[in-house]
Amino acid sequence: MTTAVHPYVDALLTGTRDLPTSPHGWLNERRGLALERANALSVPTTRDEEWRFTDLTQLTRLQLRAPGAPAEIAPEAVLPYIVPEAGSRIVFVDGVFVPQLSSTASAVSGVRVAPLATALKTDAGRLEPHLARLAGFEQNVFVALNTAHLRDGAVVVISKGQICEKPVHILHIATQAGTAAYPRCVVIAEAGAECTVVEEYQAMSEDAYLTNAVTEIAVAARARVRHIKLQCENARAFHIASCAVVVAKDASYTSHTVSLGARLSRYDLSVALNGEGAFAQMDGLALISGRQLADTHTLIDHTQPNGRSAQLHKTIVGGAAHAVFNGKIFVRPGAQLTDSSQQSRNLLLSDKATVDTKPQLEIFADDVKCAHGATVGQLDAEQLFYLRSRGLTETVARNLLTYAFGASVIERIPVRSIVERLERAVMAQTGAAA
Amino acid sequence: MSSVLEQLVNKPYEHGFRTDIETESAPKGLSEDTIRLISSKKNEPEWLLEFRLKAYRHWLTMEEPHWPNVKYPKIDFQDIIYYSAPKPKKKKSMDEVDPELLRTFEKLGVPMNERAALAGVAVDVIFDSVSVATTYKEKLAKVGIIFCSISEAVRDHPDLVRKYLGSVVPPGDNYYAALNSAVFTDGSFVFIPKGVKCPMELSTYFRINTENSGQFERTLIVAEEDASVSYLEGCTAPKFDTNQLHAAVVELVALDRADIKYSTVQNWYAGDENGLGGIYNFVTKRGLCKGVSSKISWTQVETGSAITWKYPSCILLGDNSIGEFYSVALTNHHQQADTGTKMVHLGKNTRSTIISKGISAGQSNNSYRGLVKIGAKAAGARNYSQCDSMLIGSKSGANTFPYIQVNNPTATVEHEATTSKIGEDQLFYFRQRGIGTEEAVSMIINGFCKEVFQQLPMEFAVEATKLLGLKLEGSVG
Repeated sequence: MTTAVHPYVDALLTGTRDLPTSPHGWLNERRGLALERANALSVPTTRDEEWRFTDLTQLTRLQLRAPGAPAEIAPEAVLPYIVPEAGSRIVFVDGVFVPQLSSTASAVSGVRVAPLATALKTDAGRLEPHLARLAGFEQNVFVALNTAHLRDGAVVVISKGQICEKPVHILHIATQAGTAAYPRCVVIAEAGAECTVVEEYQAMSEDAYLTNAVTEIAVAARARVRHIKLQCENARAFHIASCAVVVAKDASYTSHTVSLGARLSRYDLSVALNGEGAFAQMDGLALISGRQLADTHTLIDHTQPNGRSAQLHKTIVGGAAHAVFNGKIFVRPGAQLTDSSQQSRNLLLSDKATVDTKPQLEIFADDVKCAHGATVGQLDAEQLFYLRSRGLTETVARNLLTYAFGASVIERIPVRSIVERLERAVMAQTGAAA
Repeated sequence: MSSVLEQLVNKPYEHGFRTDIETESAPKGLSEDTIRLISSKKNEPEWLLEFRLKAYRHWLTMEEPHWPNVKYPKIDFQDIIYYSAPKPKKKKSMDEVDPELLRTFEKLGVPMNERAALAGVAVDVIFDSVSVATTYKEKLAKVGIIFCSISEAVRDHPDLVRKYLGSVVPPGDNYYAALNSAVFTDGSFVFIPKGVKCPMELSTYFRINTENSGQFERTLIVAEEDASVSYLEGCTAPKFDTNQLHAAVVELVALDRADIKYSTVQNWYAGDENGLGGIYNFVTKRGLCKGVSSKISWTQVETGSAITWKYPSCILLGDNSIGEFYSVALTNHHQQADTGTKMVHLGKNTRSTIISKGISAGQSNNSYRGLVKIGAKAAGARNYSQCDSMLIGSKSGANTFPYIQVNNPTATVEHEATTSKIGEDQLFYFRQRGIGTEEAVSMIINGFCKEVFQQLPMEFAVEATKLLGLKLEGSVG
């Protein structure tokens, strides 16, 4: 066995070499390739353009090990995270499926929510074109690491034409300090299918750990997927996640990403609009304070004509926190009549807060409509004055305006209980952040 | 595309003639000896030779940058002539200037002699690397303005040059700035003393002539307290098939309440329609708003060069200082442009405006790359950026890379960008009113660039409008 070029990566790869081989040759092959890439790649530094503002030194100082068997969690402990609207729930603790906390049985036959092992029995043919293939690990050491560790994961398959009205809830809970977990989610919506998936990260520990997550979503022709990602890791955690989405002809992908937790979080969301008339909408909100860093990198790749995309990314930055946004829009040659817009809105609440934003357009077709905008600013003094003249205290007025800033993202989330939960979280955190 | 349109698009480079004039060149190649040769040819003081050698030694340790969105074959720095000057002859008046040279300027339409007087423009002519003639010097000298070549300035005003040279763009700033600092041969020096408003627009025509000679101009403009100046730079170059490297450095320093306006029209040879030849224009331009309430404004119209790679920048150090950047970048055929600006806000209540218009036609690639940085102490800083791109033809590319870094919550930063094309319905509307496609395109383009053209001095605005019309008419069809 070779050892990795980078000692830190090498340490994280411990254990991958003795993973049990899967009966599926293609899966073994991809894990092998990913291991090879992980061996060759280094941990990015701020000299890498893609990581210019996000320094991983703190992460590389952590001695991380693979999680042991997860401690038993009482069902009551996960009550605060229950989404009552959800039709099924699949829970992973430190990256491992926990059947006792999950309820994967679905009333609708065309909707299958299962851990990877089960899904490989029923849906191997459906998984093969997507699993460990959509999320490229050639150049991304974290995706390579996750893929090399690939053993478990959440699989959601919606059969052709099925409409899954109730959201599917995928809950990842971190419980062990000093460990690195590699959650994986795969969502496959077949032609004309519809579903809403909630991907949530929570912690039941106070100490540092790493969540290195990968999500792959395939949206077939005319299908619709709504993807809600909630990142509520603990304040010392490192959360590095990648999500790769392919959207086929006339299909639609909508995402709502909310990042509240983690000492350092990084989310790479790339959406390829591979079919004519495909649509993507991506909303994002990062609400951070203290010494948190939240980095969001998105890529919308218009490869076919008539595609539409709309993005709204907001950050609320307090304390000495640091928000980073890099949004790329590619319009490939031939992707005529593309209509794409992107907005990055950033609110700074304190003197030490920092924002680095880079909305980026790369356009190689002439008959397109593309626009992007970015703003950075503070709360409007006139609006504050107005509220105070109505008898609100300075603090309440500030909280209200800050909340209102974030509300435009939160209120668009299609699951009511999550909207309410986030409203409370934002209110609580803006009070602390100011 | 109709045949008329084809003709218009593929109109050969108008200024593609070459002046036969005796030149004295250093041998090809770069070494400490070349630098010593340049320095001794120009009778430079010891400190300047040291400055050059230090820059050269630093350059040797640096790596050529690869981050810009442009592609070109590796440059062989040993295959460049670093010094080339028309043979020195003492000239007492304009009549003694080589008639061949005067004819060149005539063809370019440089206003000199009476023409200069009529146009009210003082021209410091750079022909290859040495200043040949300078007009209006006396009139400017009366109010205390120094406008001369940098070599003269080194000789006559060494203290001023020494004080400011490299103070905005340090010799080790970047790869090409280091190269320039080591081998720069000529350029302009402008000094506007306290309280003086420069009575006329100052203008320099740059022209690259000897084949394979890289041009490494160095421009330094200093405006003291309450002074103001408007400086024009225009460029044309003869047609050659060998790529020519142009790595200039421009430094501007504005003290308290000073105001510097720097306008450029760049129309160097862009290579033929197959992308062969053309100038590599790798320039470092930076202005330092050192004093309170000072202002630096860059306006550029970039239509030439095979590759344009430059970011005229403003360091807003003084409180209440203002930085502006107005740019039109047009690329056609195989041209590549990676241009934009950097606005670094350091002082309180500093303001900056960025208006960038990119037009890409043919198979060209046009990128806007900009940085707006608000330092932790820049309370109340304000920036507004707008970058619009227009694509003509389906094989061109337009990119935007705006970096926004904010470290102060009281700052307000806004960035907007759009991409569009000339719509069929717009052209239809024009035609319906009896205006042909050609003229309609020209009008739409001029409307698209209006906010930038408005910033140009009169003569330049006219030239720029014509240039765009010439370069683009008929690209739509």
